[in-house]
Amino acid sequence: MNKQDDTRSSLLERLDPVTLALVQNRLDHVARQMGWVMTRTARSPIFNHAHDFSCFITNAEGVLLSQADGIPIHTGGGGFTIRAVIDAFRGRIEQGDVFLSNDPYAAGGNHLPDWVIARPVFVQGQLVAFTCNRAHQSDIGGGAAGTYNPLATEIFHEGIRLPPLKIADADGVRDDVWSLLLLNTRCPEELDGDVRAMMGSTQIGAEHVAELVAGLGLDSAMDYFDGLLDHGERRMRQAIAALPDGEYRGVDGFDNDCFDPVDVEVQVKVVVDGDRLVIDFTGTSGQIRGFKNSSLANTHSAVYAAVSSFFDADIPRNEGTFRPLQIIAPRGSLVNPDPPAPVTMCTVFPAYEIIHACWWALGSAAPERACAGWGKNSFPNSSGRRDEGGTWVMYHWGGLSGAGAVSGRDGFNQLGPLVTLGGLTIPNAEVYEQLYPVRVLRQEFRCDGGGIGEYRGGTGVEYVVQTRAPAEYSFRAEGVTRPTGLGVNGGGAGARGTLRVEPVEGEAVTPPVYGLLRFEPATLTVRSPGGGGFGNPLERDPARVLRDVQDGVVSRGAALESYGVVIGDDGSLDEPATVALRDRRRPA
Amino acid sequence: MATSNCTRWRIGVDIGGTFTDLVLVEDTGIHHVIKVPSVPATPVDGVVRAVEEAAAKLRIDVGEMLARCELFMHGSTVATNTLLEHAGARVGMLCTEGFRDSLEIRRGIRADAWAHREPYPEVLAPRRLRQPVRGRIDRDGNEIEPLDVDDIKRAADCFRAEGVEAVAVCLFNSFVNPEHERAAVNVLKQAWGGRWISASSDIAPIMGEYERASTVVLNTYVAPRTVGYVRDLAQRLGDLGLAAPLLLIQNNGGAVSAESVSRRPASLLLSGPAAGVGALNLYKRLSGSDNLMSMEIGGTSCDAMLMSGGEVAHTDMLDLDDYHLALPSIDLHTIGAGGGTIAGVDSAGMLFVGPRGAGAHPGPACYGKGGVEPTVTDAQLVLGRLEPNAYSGGSLVLDRELAARAVDERLARPLGIGVEEAAQGVIRLMEQALLHAMQRISVERGFDPRRFVLVACGGAGPLHGAPVARMLGCRKLYVPRMAGTFCALGMLHSNVRHDLVSVCFGDLASIDRDHVRTLFHGMRAEAEQRLLAEGFSAEDQSYVFACDLRYRGQQWDVRVPLEGPELDDGSVRGAFEREHERLFGHIQPNGTLEITKLRVGAIGRVREAALETAARATSAEAPVAEMRRAWIDAERGWREVPVYHGERLEAGHRFEGPALVRELTTTLFVGNGDKAEVDEAGNYVIEVHP
Repeated sequence: MNKQDDTRSSLLERLDPVTLALVQNRLDHVARQMGWVMTRTARSPIFNHAHDFSCFITNAEGVLLSQADGIPIHTGGGGFTIRAVIDAFRGRIEQGDVFLSNDPYAAGGNHLPDWVIARPVFVQGQLVAFTCNRAHQSDIGGGAAGTYNPLATEIFHEGIRLPPLKIADADGVRDDVWSLLLLNTRCPEELDGDVRAMMGSTQIGAEHVAELVAGLGLDSAMDYFDGLLDHGERRMRQAIAALPDGEYRGVDGFDNDCFDPVDVEVQVKVVVDGDRLVIDFTGTSGQIRGFKNSSLANTHSAVYAAVSSFFDADIPRNEGTFRPLQIIAPRGSLVNPDPPAPVTMCTVFPAYEIIHACWWALGSAAPERACAGWGKNSFPNSSGRRDEGGTWVMYHWGGLSGAGAVSGRDGFNQLGPLVTLGGLTIPNAEVYEQLYPVRVLRQEFRCDGGGIGEYRGGTGVEYVVQTRAPAEYSFRAEGVTRPTGLGVNGGGAGARGTLRVEPVEGEAVTPPVYGLLRFEPATLTVRSPGGGGFGNPLERDPARVLRDVQDGVVSRGAALESYGVVIGDDGSLDEPATVALRDRRRPA
Repeated sequence: MATSNCTRWRIGVDIGGTFTDLVLVEDTGIHHVIKVPSVPATPVDGVVRAVEEAAAKLRIDVGEMLARCELFMHGSTVATNTLLEHAGARVGMLCTEGFRDSLEIRRGIRADAWAHREPYPEVLAPRRLRQPVRGRIDRDGNEIEPLDVDDIKRAADCFRAEGVEAVAVCLFNSFVNPEHERAAVNVLKQAWGGRWISASSDIAPIMGEYERASTVVLNTYVAPRTVGYVRDLAQRLGDLGLAAPLLLIQNNGGAVSAESVSRRPASLLLSGPAAGVGALNLYKRLSGSDNLMSMEIGGTSCDAMLMSGGEVAHTDMLDLDDYHLALPSIDLHTIGAGGGTIAGVDSAGMLFVGPRGAGAHPGPACYGKGGVEPTVTDAQLVLGRLEPNAYSGGSLVLDRELAARAVDERLARPLGIGVEEAAQGVIRLMEQALLHAMQRISVERGFDPRRFVLVACGGAGPLHGAPVARMLGCRKLYVPRMAGTFCALGMLHSNVRHDLVSVCFGDLASIDRDHVRTLFHGMRAEAEQRLLAEGFSAEDQSYVFACDLRYRGQQWDVRVPLEGPELDDGSVRGAFEREHERLFGHIQPNGTLEITKLRVGAIGRVREAALETAARATSAEAPVAEMRRAWIDAERGWREVPVYHGERLEAGHRFEGPALVRELTTTLFVGNGDKAEVDEAGNYVIEVHP
């Protein structure tokens, strides 16, 4: 243990453990309260329906203290943004200021659609914390409506870039800056309402944090904030120390750069050294032409989501838990690109690949905790003009994929996406029919879609939807060219996805993996990719295989071939034959 | 006990996990409380046993006691236990082809995304019993593909072959046009022959195929066992001499007849705690405030509820152990914080309390039944707030040594602090969790908790009421003397209530007013039928009307009360804007208003129960029974505090905190500077020191 560690542990020993717990719970509660305010006051359905935002609190140096509210891929990158604000405005941060930013290169952002409001909190004239809200805007200009432009080759094609801006000060909101923002979106009303809701939530949060700090006393409060980080660090070190020392490797990737077929890999070497982890992306492919490059903040978030989800869910999520992690992300690579590489897709791809690669490496260190891969998103979003004017943008969440299995549970048949660990609520088809010019015809599990294993991967679904108006479809079908939900510990991969568009008039089309296509009224069919299995399928409880067959999610053929389960003509399990068959299949 | 031959009474029975509570109120207002152990395997026996004990206490025979009962109210956990124990029916389902998996996809709702290793609870209708049917209604209610009767017959064959006991019907877009569902039910009745069929448009006519499917499946899942229980109980009580109808408390806090609940047994899933509404109705009368928040704390959990302007907040969506039920219900927020909640220290030295509990067995360490983990009750005992020897009327002895040992070994030593300090930590964390729960039901919904009276009840609530009220900024705390039988008592002050909902889409400005009136009158006529059948004459019926509105483009509705069964543009818009401002902090002055649902609440008014008037004290000074050393708060530490015995306190008695009051079913803690007074009804009114 080095000297700094010594000082830290003595701090933790010096603090009152009861107060420490009270402060932790209070900060988590304040972060959740900020989330309630956001849900209640935002305008766009993406916030009050899909919860695509995160509220968090940092200390005065921009170190994340609590992110009790929010989605996994937002957890871990928050500190970058706030530290960029501090760097840009050092010595000029005053009570009443509110900052706004989004740029991944100039402002520690993850991607341009996620705007961050940061509000400094003052007690007795001293800066003590920031209350923050990161939220995905409905439109920020750029080459395609709805923030995703699959044709982007530079960040300039992706929307307006914001360095750390002072959006308000003690005199109120800066009208000139506000007008500039509204001028750069296709949905000014939503943006106006949503950014105001973000500011309102950080205001409520700031009042509560100031109250807490004043109650504890200024110096004491700063000690407790540090104590929380130390506690998180200690929990993470214990979890890491339980892994055997060594080097573990993982690789995942995709086979296109959004334009041309090309193999792109995320390579990771995870070094377990006592209670520390080095996560080294050396060897990862260079940055690519299309918008699947990962900003550094997003890379850190994805690593954090992978590591945190690999361990127990009760480890706190603050930046103290990041201290035992060293992340090496070479400049100019897919996971730390140089400007002006486009990055908008990164919160999904390559976040998926980064999480998978880290999971593979960690899973070889502790196979009993291994997580099988989740099928990659393969559905488009579509948009069109409303009769009464304005633009509609529809995310086809009904086409989400199957999740991977872990020891003790099968993969969820439809959940997702991986980067939210299921934190996204899938809309009802009936609701979508009321909101958009569509008729949803099917959203049902696939047969043999899930990867085989002692615990089966999620099946994925067949999703069929008729769009009854002309529309533009933005495709990013990452899971159709090869299996993406890979198995672990002898489990198999989930089936790959398929995609097809049948215009009411004209020939059926297999859309490109990436691209913008326009169709007159048409029927879209997405068979979403399945998740990977965990463990040897010959170890799966035959009763569960039988149930899968009766449920129509595993075929009789697969039961026999993959699981070694014999089902008699009367549909019942033939136990002796199953035992005999499985014995023959197992290596002697 | 002296009761005259013509005294009549009301009986309320609440079955809890450990005890079955019975409260009997004479028409003079005199209360009797009976507590007997529950009989989980045959709950009817538990009720009958409580009834027999009550009769014994009154020294009359059971037949006479029941014959003189004018109202028999019952809250039952039978539906809840059927669900939690996974002991429900084998359920089959008819679904629109293409949507047989809505139930199992569950919209991907995860309680905690980070806990991704946790599976979902078992799906209640397995996929092979979810049978597809062709036929389609479009979003405007037009049939675009006829219902395929042969598919239904095929499904019926499957249900018979598989031994299905109950069938749920949920077809796509049935909330706009239920014709296909109705036709499917008729075909199924012929073709299948089983007893239990329910249709989603009948149970929960709301938009959203998942929530409708989940609700109708829950309804069929609990139906055979729940309805069987209700009928058995009605039969047994009838045989024993009960002449009055048996009424049950529903999720909406209102009562309903045993017959009427048989169609919608899922409306009993919250039957126990929902009786708290009746209790709040009573405390509204007694406390003189119609803004109340209740905090009912038992052994394992805390139920929080809010009443504003005399109305308890309602919701359309309940989450029961990750199963979703879209029925009108009281808005109850439950957290895992009770007397038996376990405290511990994590591997890095952080103290935590909950959410795990010690249950009835082994229970807190101080019960001496083998529990070694410290609980909130153990901490209270260590801090001198609970008396070791006489708890629950002497039926339970608490061992302070065992409590102190558990706190010492599991908390104090790992944290490197003293036993008392650790116990204080447990109480402070517990009360912080309670504070956050109360803020959730008030602040989150746009209510300022400082304008509310906190009602602390349940066996463990009155120990925490004063500190939580202080943190919330409430000026007044109300503690019922019968805090431990909150629900059984509450039932006796519940009215019968039916909530009906109709889907109705359109712009508020242009919607066909005649259509709206027709829908309202249809619902009202149906409700009137039900109330008449339950024996309510016209003068005892009342109706409230409401509609759900939203700005165009919004996904969530706001419920707006109406003056009568029609829409009056000006007042509706104004009422909507006030509610929207409270909930969301803004309005859209030029926003187009859309209407989504019409609602009728039909109330059968039960005559108000008489109130017991406590004997009036001759002097204001309350008699101190003893002095005891107890921990007060962080600032004051340990003090010698007066302990009062509830049975010796009378209306008008006053005392100042810090103090403790020992009651039969609870202990009340009065904090430093708080001023307590016993009111006319014998309950405690506490002016909270800021």
